[in-house]
Amino acid sequence: MSRDSNYDHHISIFSPQGRLYQMEYCFKSANSGLTGVAVRGKDSCCVVTQKKVPDRLMEPSSVTHLFALTNKVGCCVTGSMADSKAMVQRARHEAGKWAYDNGFPMPVGVLARRMADLAQVNTQSAHMRPLACIGLFIGVDDEKGPQVFKVDCAGHYLPFFAAASGPKEQEAMNYLEKRVKEMKEYDNNEVIRTAITCLGHVLGSDFRGSEIEVGSIEGTDGKFHVLSEEDIENHLNAIADDADA
Amino acid sequence: MASSGSGYDLSASTFSPDGRIFQVEYATKAVENAGTVVGIKCSNGVVLGCAKPIHHKMVVATSGSYKRIHTCDTHIGVASTGFLPDSRVLVQRTTEEAADWLEQYGGKIPPHVLADRLGSYVHYFTLHGALRPFGAAAVIAGHDPDTKECSLHLLEPNGAPYRFYGVATGKGKQAAKTELEKLNLHKTPIAADEAVKQILRILHLLHQESKDSKPIEVEVSWICEASGWKHKGVPKDVLKTSEDWAKEQLEEEEEDDDDDEEMEEES
Repeated sequence: MSRDSNYDHHISIFSPQGRLYQMEYCFKSANSGLTGVAVRGKDSCCVVTQKKVPDRLMEPSSVTHLFALTNKVGCCVTGSMADSKAMVQRARHEAGKWAYDNGFPMPVGVLARRMADLAQVNTQSAHMRPLACIGLFIGVDDEKGPQVFKVDCAGHYLPFFAAASGPKEQEAMNYLEKRVKEMKEYDNNEVIRTAITCLGHVLGSDFRGSEIEVGSIEGTDGKFHVLSEEDIENHLNAIADDADA
Repeated sequence: MASSGSGYDLSASTFSPDGRIFQVEYATKAVENAGTVVGIKCSNGVVLGCAKPIHHKMVVATSGSYKRIHTCDTHIGVASTGFLPDSRVLVQRTTEEAADWLEQYGGKIPPHVLADRLGSYVHYFTLHGALRPFGAAAVIAGHDPDTKECSLHLLEPNGAPYRFYGVATGKGKQAAKTELEKLNLHKTPIAADEAVKQILRILHLLHQESKDSKPIEVEVSWICEASGWKHKGVPKDVLKTSEDWAKEQLEEEEEDDDDDEEMEEES
C-alpha cells in the first residue's frame, strides 16, 4: 500500500492497483458535509437535507443547499459550498442554453448526464481538480414521470427510486431500500414524509421546521419549490401523529 | 495522516488523503495575518470598519492612496484584507462586474449578485493547478436600490459567499467575532450610528490587546439614510465623537478590570 502513496498526487495517474486516489480523496471531502435524501413517488419527487447555520452571525436565509436549476428541475448539492455553487451555476447555464437551442425545457435526466460528463472531464485532465460536491437532481419528466438522479464528483450518474448523499448515505439507503416497493405509489405528502423520516432516522434526532430544508416538485406541470417552515412543521406534525396512532 | 500537508499542499488542484485542499487553507491563513475588517448590518443600514496598521512613520496614512475600503458603484462598499496586492485585484473585479452589469442591464447590480459573482471568480482560482487561490478576503456591504434592503457578505479565499448580520476577518477575527456575538445582532439589530461606535470600540480594543506597537489608522464607512443610501465614509464629526466614545468605554473597562483585581487582592 505504501507504494501507492506515490500515485496519489495527481488526478490523471492510476495507481498500480488501478485506483484513482485523488478521486477517492475528493469523495472524502464531498461526503464530509451534510446528508441529503431524495425520494420519488407516483407523480412527485422531493429532496430533503439538514439546515445547519455554522455561525450565529450568519443570515440563515443565505445558507441553503437546495437550488432550482430550472423551473422544473431542482437539486440538493452537498459537500463544499463553494464547489456546490460552481456546479449549480454551470448547471443553470447548461439548462438555459439547452432550452434556447432546443426550444423546450431540459429534462432532468439530460441535465444530470451533462453535469456528469463535465465532472468526468476533471477526472481525466490534470490541470483542474474535481468539484467536491454531490448533486441529487430531481424533476418530473413529461414522458417518464418523476425522476431522481445522483451525480457525483467522478461523473457517475444513475437514476434512483430514492437516493442519499453525505456521511449517512449508507444508513439512509438501507432505510429507503426497505420501502422501495411502496414508494412507487406514494403521493406528494407521503414522498416528503418518507424523506423527512429517513433523514431523522439516520441522524438519530427529531427536527423542528427550521432545522431541515425540503424541496419538491409535483406533477408534470409542477415547479420546483422550497417548502416554507410552516409547511415543514405541518409535515412534521403529521409524521408525529402517524407515529402515535 | 498527512495533516501537515507534506506533498499534498503544493497545488490548489490536489486533495489531501483526508479530503482537504491545503492551498486554500494556507490562503485563508494569509488573510489572518493582515489588518482586521469588521462589518455590521444594522436596522437602518450597513457599516464597515477596518484597522490599518501603519508600518512606517513615513507613510502618509490619511491620504487617498492607502484606502482599504473602496466604493464599487455608488451603492456598494468593499473592504478587503489579506495579501494586499490580491485584495486590490478583488476590488477591481467588483468594479468591473458592476460596470458590466450596468452596461448589460441598465441598472445597479444587486449586492448579492455581486457577491455571488465575486465568489465564483475567487472559487475558480481554487480549482486550477496553474493558478493559486487569492490570499485575500472581501467584505461586501451593499444597498439594493430595488428591494431597499441592505446586506453584508463575506467572501473568503475558498469562494463561498454568505450573508451576515455581523462579520469580522483578518488578524483580530476571533476576538472581534466574540465581541460581535455579544451584541446579539441576529435578534436585536442596532442602528447605524450605534454600529459606528461599536465598530470603533472593537477595533481599538483589538489594537490594545494585540500589544502591537504599530499605530493603527481606522477607516469607517456606511450606507444609510444619512449618506443618501450611498456608500460613503462616515463624516469626520460623527467619526470623532464615536471614536471619543469608544476610547472612553475602553478606559472605563480597564478601570473596572483594575478594580476587580484590587478587590481580589484584598480579599
